[in-house]
Formats: sequence, structure tokens, C-alpha cells
Amino acid sequence: MFSMTSVRQTDSKLPSSGIPALDEVASLRVVVWRNVIPVLLSVLSIGLVTTALFALSTTLASSLVPIAYLVPVMYAATRWGVWPAMTASITGTAAADFFFFEPLYSFRVDNPQEAVDLLLFLIVALVSSNLASRLRKETDTLRQREKEMHALYDFSRRLASCFTVADLISAIRQHFEVAFGHAATLFVTTADGHFEPPESRFAPLSVQATAAAMNSGAGPGLQTIVDEQRAEIWLLRAISSDSAIHGVIAVNIGLGSQPAIERRTRRIQSILDETALTLQRLDIGKVMESARLRLQAQMLRDAFHGTLSHELCTPLAAIQGSASVLETIPAIRGDARIRTLVEAISDEASHLDGYISNLLSATRVTAGGLSPRREWADPRDIVHGAITRRARRLSAHRIEATFADDLPLLHVDSGLVEEACGQILENAAKYSPSGSTITVDVRCEPHRVHVVVSDQGVGITADEQQKLGQRSFRSARHQASVPGSGLGFWIASTFIQANEGVITVHSRGQGQGTTVSISLPALEPSTSEPIALTDE
Amino acid sequence: MSKPANVVLLIDDEPKIRRFLRAGFELNSFAVLEAENATEALKLATFSSPDLIVLDLALPDLHGAEVLERIRAWSNVPIIILSVAAGEDEKVRLLQAGADDYVVKPFGMAELLARSEAALRRYFKSATENPVVVAGPLSVDLVTRTVSLNNNLVRLTRKEYRLLHVLAMHVGLVVTHDQLLKDIWNGNQRDNIQYLRILVRKLRQKIEADPNQPRLLVTESGVGYRLQNRLDAAPVAARVS
Repeated sequence: MFSMTSVRQTDSKLPSSGIPALDEVASLRVVVWRNVIPVLLSVLSIGLVTTALFALSTTLASSLVPIAYLVPVMYAATRWGVWPAMTASITGTAAADFFFFEPLYSFRVDNPQEAVDLLLFLIVALVSSNLASRLRKETDTLRQREKEMHALYDFSRRLASCFTVADLISAIRQHFEVAFGHAATLFVTTADGHFEPPESRFAPLSVQATAAAMNSGAGPGLQTIVDEQRAEIWLLRAISSDSAIHGVIAVNIGLGSQPAIERRTRRIQSILDETALTLQRLDIGKVMESARLRLQAQMLRDAFHGTLSHELCTPLAAIQGSASVLETIPAIRGDARIRTLVEAISDEASHLDGYISNLLSATRVTAGGLSPRREWADPRDIVHGAITRRARRLSAHRIEATFADDLPLLHVDSGLVEEACGQILENAAKYSPSGSTITVDVRCEPHRVHVVVSDQGVGITADEQQKLGQRSFRSARHQASVPGSGLGFWIASTFIQANEGVITVHSRGQGQGTTVSISLPALEPSTSEPIALTDE
Repeated sequence: MSKPANVVLLIDDEPKIRRFLRAGFELNSFAVLEAENATEALKLATFSSPDLIVLDLALPDLHGAEVLERIRAWSNVPIIILSVAAGEDEKVRLLQAGADDYVVKPFGMAELLARSEAALRRYFKSATENPVVVAGPLSVDLVTRTVSLNNNLVRLTRKEYRLLHVLAMHVGLVVTHDQLLKDIWNGNQRDNIQYLRILVRKLRQKIEADPNQPRLLVTESGVGYRLQNRLDAAPVAARVS
């Protein structure tokens, strides 16, 4: 095992190749690029301003000169920093003197007034370029910090959605690779205390062995390993909280000349320190535990899902199918009493099927498995589909659907939106007297389409309205009289939200009917026909 | 019935489902074969040459899609898919893989029979057959390219006719968006489902009694369109009696 100090001794043993030289040349080129080009550009911009001033009449130009030259100075300061701005200030002063102040085409200044002007310009330019470049530096730092915060936030969010230790490792590895710019990995201690290496091909054996030792608490918390076989240098650092070591981060810092390696090592060590702190703060131990719990919950949910869809849906499909066969038999259709019985079987089975599919939708939503599959759809098709699919359950009510002319297409998952409209229609039917009318009004305004469902039913109190969005909420008024699971509205609003729509409920009060409005984003109604539709 | 009964092969691992399917098909003068797994199904499909196959996707030994593919490798026999709440993507994939249509569990026998008969009609269609497709009040003459609604001539633009033509060729069966786009725009506008939606809207205005509540040209959400050939809910019973 190598310790921190051994790295310098082993450095010389690194296979020397053309790589370090190339590395240096490349970095030199970058330095030139970063420093010389902006200076040249700022001189060029002074030249541009001079040309522009020449294009104006001389009298006008001379009054504009000091102000005009401030423009490139400020630009250079905010864009490239202090040195290019200084260059611009000095070149600007010289150019103004040379081209615009008497005597022309000489650096001499005769008029004391003009000398003061030039001096003032130089001072203002230098001071403001300093100020502007400082501002720029601060903005850059802020921006950098914001980026880091974003990355950190994303990282913690990813950690929170991990199911397994493997997920966790891959999340952390990705974060490292972004943060370090080098291949990195995490060796973890799991809940039962033993060490679990990631894909073994990723890190060389010597690194794995050292990491395992560090995980069990042996050796210092920070080590450097040189793997001769692969000619790689690895930095290892243990992450621990007061109780235990949670894992070891290993970063492959690659190859390079000695100063390059040292520079890189310093930089990565500082990031490592920060990352170790971050991981401690995020309490990686707890994160792993909750990942395990989530995995279990997910497995339970999947099992529930599977059981529901197989053990309940298959018999139900058999019942419904059998009833539908009976319905086709002339002798049964001819006998009113038997026919009502068969119809009752069908109705009840389809009710039961509705409940089961609601439960399935609800598990789908809570499992986070709702990924809308969007495509262009006609709102008429969606609403019509919702009505016809539930024709049987809506048969006791009059459904009046009106559609605005020239409805735009919607870019939605039509299955989800249709289901949501269906849930709303079903609720309207459930909570309004048989024989009453339910109106569906589909209208559009710029960029939105509204589907407004109104009934003449029991209405909603202000108190109920507040709780409406909750899963499984059912008003005490209807617990006994109207069957239901309280999932319908919740499913509808989740499905609509998944399509970037909004669902609102309005009722003038108890007994005054309810109006539910679904609003979805849309294209502009196209007045001109797409070219592809015209007949050739 | 003068002609020998059509033979339907039911492939489903659930005896409960097969039981009512058998009853439903037998009551409508089909001869029924049953298979409870893919191996048996492939054997029966090869050696008993059924006229129609009803295939459930969840089989114990092989996925239904695989069975579909293997049968399609050598046979054009109509295949209707049974599935439990399949996603639209899967439906489209199955249709592209050669399924003629699908029904989603739970389904009514009338629906399955209508699909089956549409698929059979398409399968047995011969050159001597009447080239006029009738769907409710609508008739489409595929040879003279005339369309009439309640015996009144309907004037369609070329694109509208092409859409109706493709649907009429598959009357009673679902046609995917992809296929319609390919057939109407010769593959030039395959991604532009908006054009198809707008074209459908215009065609509906000409052939539907109420374009907002289409009964002839119906939408299969997320999958495609279907030209209905029967308009009432219990058409099969009416025909049997």
C-alpha cells in the first residue's frame, strides 16, 4: 500500500512518453489564446471606433471623441477583463490624440484644454475599466456558484430517487465525473457492514484492495495509489461520519508530467474535500437505507399491480365476456326479465372494472410511472371518446356536448386526457339526479382549449372544494349514498397536470350544480391550411 | 349456412376466457380450436390451417408478439390480438408486426365478432367481389372512385378520397396513423400527424351526420382510425336472429 508521501518517489517511475510534452504545449497554447487574443481584439475595436468617427464629419466627431472611445473600453472590461480594458484605454487616448486633436496626425497636444480632456478621458477609462472588470469577475463567480448549486441540487435529487446501492453508485460516479473531469467511482460499505465493489473492470485491482482496506478502517483516510500495470494514478479518500466509514471515493487522475500531476492532484483534493463534506451532509448512510426501503415499496407495488391486473381482471373479463355472449343470444334478448338480469351482470362487472382501473391508475401515479406519450390530437376525438367509452355509466343522464368551430389540435397524451375527462363526466353523473343534463362545452381561446363539464347536481361546498384535490377524499355528505373510492378527481387532476393542463372546480354551493373546467395548452387555430393538404 | 364453418383458433392460457370465447364463436357458427400455450398454438396454426386466430399476449412459454411474428413469417391468416390494457405503443407495434386488429380486455363478444368478421372479409376478398364498400349510409366504389352518402354523391378532394379509400380497404379494421400517412402522402409527411388530424376533420364534415360525434370514421386514440361497418351497438345479435 502506498501512502500519501510515496507518490513523489514513484512519480519518476512513470512511463515517460510524448504525452506530458503535448500536455504542456497544449496548455501554453491555451494561455496565449486566453490572454493575447482579447488584447488584440480590444485594439481592433478602438480601430473600428476610429474608422466610424472618421466616417462622421470632423466637427461632429471631435465633440463625440471621448465618449465614443469609452464604448470599446467598457466592452473590453465587461467582456475580457482588466488588461484588455487598460490596453483599450491607452490605445483610445493615443488614437484620439493622434487623429482628432490639433495638430492632427501627431501625438503633440497644443491646446491645454484638450490636454485636460485627454487626461480626464484616460483617468475615467482606467477607473471604469477597473470597476467593470471587477463587476464581471463577481458576476462570473456568482454564475459559477449558481452552476455548482444547480449541480449539487440535481445530485441530491438524484440521490433521493435511487433504489439500489448500484443506482446510488452510478449517481455518485456521474456527479464525480462532472465535478472532477476524471473517471471516478465510489466503493461503499453497505448496511450489513461488508464492502461491495462496483464493476471490477473499472478500477485496477490494487485500488480495489486499498479501498476495501480503507472501508474496514485500515490506513489513513487519504491515499494515492500508482497502478503500474495500467499506468494510472488514483486518489482515494474515505467518507466517514462520526460512527462509520460509508465509502471510499476513488478518482483516476491519469497521466502527465510531474507538475501537471501535482496541479491536478491539488485541484482534485480540494474538490474531494468538498464532495466528502457534501456526502456527509447528505447523510449517505441514511440515503442508502431509504433507497433500500423504496426498492421494497416498489416491489410490493409491482406485486400488487400484477395481482390486480391478473387475478382480478381476468375473472372479470370472463364475466363480462360471458355476459356479452349471453346478450347476443336471441332467446335471451327476447325475454325482458332474463335480459335485465344479463344487463345487470354486465353493468356491475363494468363498474367493478372501473374501480380496478382507477386503482391501477392510482398505483401508476404514485409509482411515478406516469410518462405522457404526447402527440397531436383533436379535442373533439378526446371528448367524444370519453363520452362513448362511458356510455353505459352515463346512460341515465342527458349528455349535451358542444364544440367551438375551428378548435386547434392539442399536443397531449390523448389516452390520459380522455381518461381524465371520463372521470369528470362520471363524477358529474354520480352526483346529479338521473334524467338531468350534463353539458360538455369545448371552447378555445388563444393558446388554450377548455373542456367545461357542468352538471345540475348536488354541488360542492367551499370546505369540500379545498379537500377535492386530495387522494381518496370523499365528502361526508355522500359517504353512505353514493358509491366510490374518492380516487376519480385525484386521478383526473394528476393526468391533466401531466399534460401541462389545469383543472378547476366551481360551484355556486350546495345543490347548485358543479362546473369542472379542464384547460389545456394548444396551438394557435390555423387559419391557413398546411401546404401538404392542398391537392396537387 | 351453405359454406363450411370458418375455423377459429383461440390462443389463451386462461380456461375461463377460452370458455366464453368458444361459446361466443360457436353460437356464431364458427368451428373452434383451442391452444393454451405458444407451442401448441404454433403446432395447430401450422397443421390445422385455421381461418382466423385470436391471440392472447400473455402466454406461459412465449410472448404473444413472438407467436404473431412466427405465424406471420409464413401465413397471412387474420390475427386478432387480445390484451389486458396494452399501451398505445404496443398496439401500434403489434399492428405493424402484422396483427389485423386488437381488442382490449375486458371486451364484449359483439366487438370481437365484428373485428373477426371484418378481418375474415378482408382475407377472403377476391377479385370478383363487389368493389363497393358499404359502411352504414356510406358507400365507396373502389373502382369508379365514387362516394355516396344516403345515395347522394359526395364530392371529396383527392386527399380526402385517398384517406377514405385506405380506410374502406380495411373496413371494420383499425388502420394505424403511420400507414395512413404513408399511403396518403407517399411517405413524404410521415411525421406530420397534424395534417392527418385536419384531413380527418374535413372528411368527417362531409360524411358524418354530426362531425362532432363521428359514428363512421372513428378514432382509435393513440393508434389510428377505423371505418365502422356496423353502426348499432349489438349488430351481431340482430344478424343472427
